[in-house]
Amino acid sequence: MVQLVSDTWYLFNKYLRITLRMPMWALFTIIQPLIWLLIFGQLFKNMASLPGFPQGRYMDFFLPGAVIMTVLFGTSWSGVSLLREINFGTVEKMLVTPVSRVSIVMSRVIHTAVTVIIQCLIIMIIAIIFGASVSGVKGALLSLVIVFLLSLGFSGISNGLAMWLKREEPLVMLGNMMTLPLMFLSSAMVPKSFMPEWIRVITKINPIDYAVEAIRAFYSGGVSLQAILVGFLFLSLFAVTAISWATEMFMNQSE
Amino acid sequence: MIKTENLTKTFSSGTKAVDNLNINVEDGEIFGFLGPNGAGKSTTIKILTTLSRPTSGQAWVGGHNVLTEPVKVRCSIGYVAQETGIDYFLTGRENLVLQGRLYRMDGKAINRRVDELLELFSIKDNADQLVSTYSGGMRRKLDIATALIHNPRLIFLDEPTLGLDPHSRSQLWNYIRMLNSELKVTIFLTTHYLDEADKLSNRIGILHKGSIKIIDTPDKLKDSIRGDSVNLELKGSAKDKAISILKGDSKVKEILLENDHVRVYVNNGSEAIQWLMKLLNQNGIDVSSLSISRPSLDDVYLKYSGASFKEGDSAEGGEPWWAKWQKGGWGKNWKGGEDSNDKNEAVGWDQNWTKGEWEMEQDDKQEVTADKDKEDIKDKENKEEENIEEPWKKWQGTPEAAEWWSKQGKKEG
Repeated sequence: MVQLVSDTWYLFNKYLRITLRMPMWALFTIIQPLIWLLIFGQLFKNMASLPGFPQGRYMDFFLPGAVIMTVLFGTSWSGVSLLREINFGTVEKMLVTPVSRVSIVMSRVIHTAVTVIIQCLIIMIIAIIFGASVSGVKGALLSLVIVFLLSLGFSGISNGLAMWLKREEPLVMLGNMMTLPLMFLSSAMVPKSFMPEWIRVITKINPIDYAVEAIRAFYSGGVSLQAILVGFLFLSLFAVTAISWATEMFMNQSE
Repeated sequence: MIKTENLTKTFSSGTKAVDNLNINVEDGEIFGFLGPNGAGKSTTIKILTTLSRPTSGQAWVGGHNVLTEPVKVRCSIGYVAQETGIDYFLTGRENLVLQGRLYRMDGKAINRRVDELLELFSIKDNADQLVSTYSGGMRRKLDIATALIHNPRLIFLDEPTLGLDPHSRSQLWNYIRMLNSELKVTIFLTTHYLDEADKLSNRIGILHKGSIKIIDTPDKLKDSIRGDSVNLELKGSAKDKAISILKGDSKVKEILLENDHVRVYVNNGSEAIQWLMKLLNQNGIDVSSLSISRPSLDDVYLKYSGASFKEGDSAEGGEPWWAKWQKGGWGKNWKGGEDSNDKNEAVGWDQNWTKGEWEMEQDDKQEVTADKDKEDIKDKENKEEENIEEPWKKWQGTPEAAEWWSKQGKKEG
């Protein structure tokens, strides 16, 4: 167990160091949320005045959506880079050492989640500058925990799919294919009251919806303890299941 | 150090990559593991390094069983794969330190060992630069250094000099020799460069279709092919015709084919030239060029890796290897990548062969760097030239030669 943690830590360190050495990554990380908030904020501005729309401005409503989009886009690359490392021989070089196999997947997943957190922090800061209202620091920090859990889950899925598909192209395709439907099947962009009944049913099993609701609750301050607890539990379960599956796939393939 | 008992690996597609393999690598030797692409070299290495599980049979590496004690095996070996697995966006030092961490060494021991290795491989000056700025030779050295971080008694080198320039190659050879002689590291080496295997290995095993055809010292292997080889360069259909004529001749011990070259093995090369030329001319076969040489490791390799025509009991049942390839029988293995865990092996055999062997000879001749190996190469070249020239000169005086030359002249004129 101690070895699992230390193996994961050293590998995580490696990945983070490599990411931070890409200046362009940092640049685009800042530009991307700017574009989203600007365009989406302007485009859907008048939607907030539609009857039935929850109170407040669209920016307040959309901020959690922007965060979730960052999670989905940010995590879908995790599997691609795993395939690249396999082709490059880096994974093989790790596998001939006694390093824990679980830690190879764990370190990748945690690294992805941490980079997503950095991106989300930037989004939040920019959104506040744009005029989104935040109820308190505590709420903002708790929302990052939600983001972390969701990112762990989705990057686990991405890594698992990578081991299943074994090729970059179908993996990227599948990632693109899943992202928007998953968004639309949650209240990230459109309030639940606008949804047809069947979509509303599906949102109940969509981890993204739990995350959106939880994040939104933290921002508006109107937190119902029960809803948050359910959200945390559901997302934790999602993350653990996804990572276990990814690890299982990785171990099967590397034997 | 390595021992296998009836090691077999069958892929889910039904391909037998390793077939009842029995090898025994001694403590402290350099073992050259040769064989054409698709012979099962990489699969064998994957099993021995615990990256893959055998279908049946047993293997012990460093005294530990690969199936029951994989972690102990991993701790006692270093592995340098064909693809350099080092991280390009870390520095050389960071790569080494990380590798030490993965072997769970403690921080102080890692730092000490890293300094030692940087010194040993003379990459100290570039230690804190990103690997992406390194040259190919330096990346290889770093790759080998990372495999040595935990002081293993055995390392696997899978085509370590692939794609390196002649200078880097001979430099790397010196490192490999030094590792073996001074640090007493046992080395399991695969390569397609036969001169490399010849120079470095204490013993050589030739693998074909998943099992070992022969294991011996390079010298004994070369001695096993007695007589001379006459190397005929023939174009197109003349090749097939010449082979069918010479196959039946009792004076011909063996015929091997290598691209446009037909190698004919006879007891006495200079004597053979006369009747060979006569025989071929009588049948209207044009010989573009001709040379004689003493058997080298190439000849041994060709004989045991299935390019033989003379022996009916060869693996292909006497059929030329390219005939099968054309029919698509072997094509699956070589081109379609049935053996798909081995990227390089998806290339056609002759393609790789041409690239490796012929370009390498060129490389050797172009080598101008001041290095220890320069002498070796020079010696070797001189010997080869002597061998070729002597019988050639004898032949030049004969009427057959005159006839041949006049024919050549007509063709050009």
